[in-house]
Amino acid sequence: MRTLLVLLALAGMAARLVAQKLRPAVGPLVIGVHVRNESPAGTDEFSGTTFGGEGGLSFGRLVLRLDYVQGSVSPVSGGPSARDLIEGRAEIGFRPLRWLTLGGGPHARAYVIDGRSVRWVLWNVRGRAEGNFIGSAVAGYMEGWRAVSADVNVPEPFDHAEGGEAGIVLRLSGAPLQARVAYRIDHSVLGGGSRQETVEGVVVAFSVVRR
Amino acid sequence: MRSMALLGLLACGLGAGSRAARAQSSANLLGDGIRAYRNLEFDLAARRLRGALAQSPGKDAPADQATGLVYLGAADLFRGRRDSATAVFRRLIMFDPGYQPDRLIFPPEVTGLFDRVRQETKTLAIAVPQETEIAVGDGALSVRLVASSFQTVEVTLLNTDGGPFRQLYAGPIGDSLKVQWDGLDAAGGIPAVDRVLLRVASRTPSGVLVAIRQVPLDLRVFRGDTLAWPPAPTQSQLLPERSSGGPAARALLGGILVSGAVIALPTIVGGSGAPSEPQVAVVGAVGLASLVGCILHRPGRPLEANIRSNETMREEWRQRVASVKAENARRVRQARLAIHAGESTFIRPGGS
Repeated sequence: MRTLLVLLALAGMAARLVAQKLRPAVGPLVIGVHVRNESPAGTDEFSGTTFGGEGGLSFGRLVLRLDYVQGSVSPVSGGPSARDLIEGRAEIGFRPLRWLTLGGGPHARAYVIDGRSVRWVLWNVRGRAEGNFIGSAVAGYMEGWRAVSADVNVPEPFDHAEGGEAGIVLRLSGAPLQARVAYRIDHSVLGGGSRQETVEGVVVAFSVVRR
Repeated sequence: MRSMALLGLLACGLGAGSRAARAQSSANLLGDGIRAYRNLEFDLAARRLRGALAQSPGKDAPADQATGLVYLGAADLFRGRRDSATAVFRRLIMFDPGYQPDRLIFPPEVTGLFDRVRQETKTLAIAVPQETEIAVGDGALSVRLVASSFQTVEVTLLNTDGGPFRQLYAGPIGDSLKVQWDGLDAAGGIPAVDRVLLRVASRTPSGVLVAIRQVPLDLRVFRGDTLAWPPAPTQSQLLPERSSGGPAARALLGGILVSGAVIALPTIVGGSGAPSEPQVAVVGAVGLASLVGCILHRPGRPLEANIRSNETMREEWRQRVASVKAENARRVRQARLAIHAGESTFIRPGGS
């Protein structure tokens, strides 16, 4: 009897899941990056542009997001040599309210300097709030995250990392296209504050969305 | 008790017997009078006929009354009493305006006098069916007017207070005229009253009012219920046709909120508080979008989509109203009117 009830409940859930519409989105992503590295040895600043893409999948209240960019950043005023920057994120989220998404996932960033790479792997928890503010054509959003664990191959022990993103999403009426312009910042603290790294940038993304 | 019942029955029997005997006597006197006229005993004929007419008031046997009067008039004429004959013929014409003496029986002296009196006497009779039921607007109540001689008539329906209800005819009449009423009032609507007066005023050709006849008509309308008009779209159902200040304020506030978040993020996450180039670029983009949103959604701007949607809703309502109107008109057309005609009354101006 219990098995039968479980089977019936699973069948009901399956029916509801089938009724949900799968909404994929994919498109190019460009980030104008500014990196600031503060350590007892001094402060280094780099800037550059990274290119890549992002994709998402929405299924009822479930959300899956991926993005990947790579490029190179150059020192703003002489000093250290330019380096490649590769960054990727994955996130799985749940939307308890129409405007609120809670989730988390890994965030990896690597700098390649003269064949040697510095890797950052952070596991973040995230919260995102989004709402239309110019009809349904423009929505604003704010996002914040915090690392709950990290794996960084630098001498200083990891302390904490936080970040956020805020911007607007422009939707073309009647077309499956949308554009996004946002400001993003990541701030990591290592060695009890002896080393800090801030990565900020302007995010410009275009997506083809199935509505 | 039993004897009382027997007495009652006896009284009824005697009453009925008396009426029958009087009718028999009147018929005998009329017959005697006509026979005396044919035997050229005009004095005897006049006596017998006057006796017969005195016993028969005319309602029970109108044909006998008219026959008695024409023979009496002829007898008086041949007795040399022309004035009396004229008065008798006038009485006959008032009693039956359409009456014509048989020209095979009466000589030209008699018919000539009768025609002269007829020309001088302006009166008419109204024949209305006692009970009529018509479809309002489609059927008709037929009123037949019989005139003694050429005159003009005004046939009018009046309210019981004397106010006009509807004019049916105004014009000349020769011998007879059929006037019809379709059951509608002057405005073309179903009568809202339950009684009207059919009034026929007759005038000489020179316009002098000579007689009025009135017949009360009791009206009863049988109609199907009409449908209520569908309610017009309420303000709450219609979309606003001009933008309010809300969307513009929302665009402005949204822009401020997102820009504020962009400016505050470095401080929140522990970075530098000084504004950076990426922040300035994004705040500029957000501010521009917000400004464009404010302009596009400025208060009072016509909302074309809403206007079209409202017009569609109003048009659908107008079509529903037109459909209900057509259905109600069909139901009104199917209304029936029962008309009961009362006793005709005669009014002679001046009371003569």
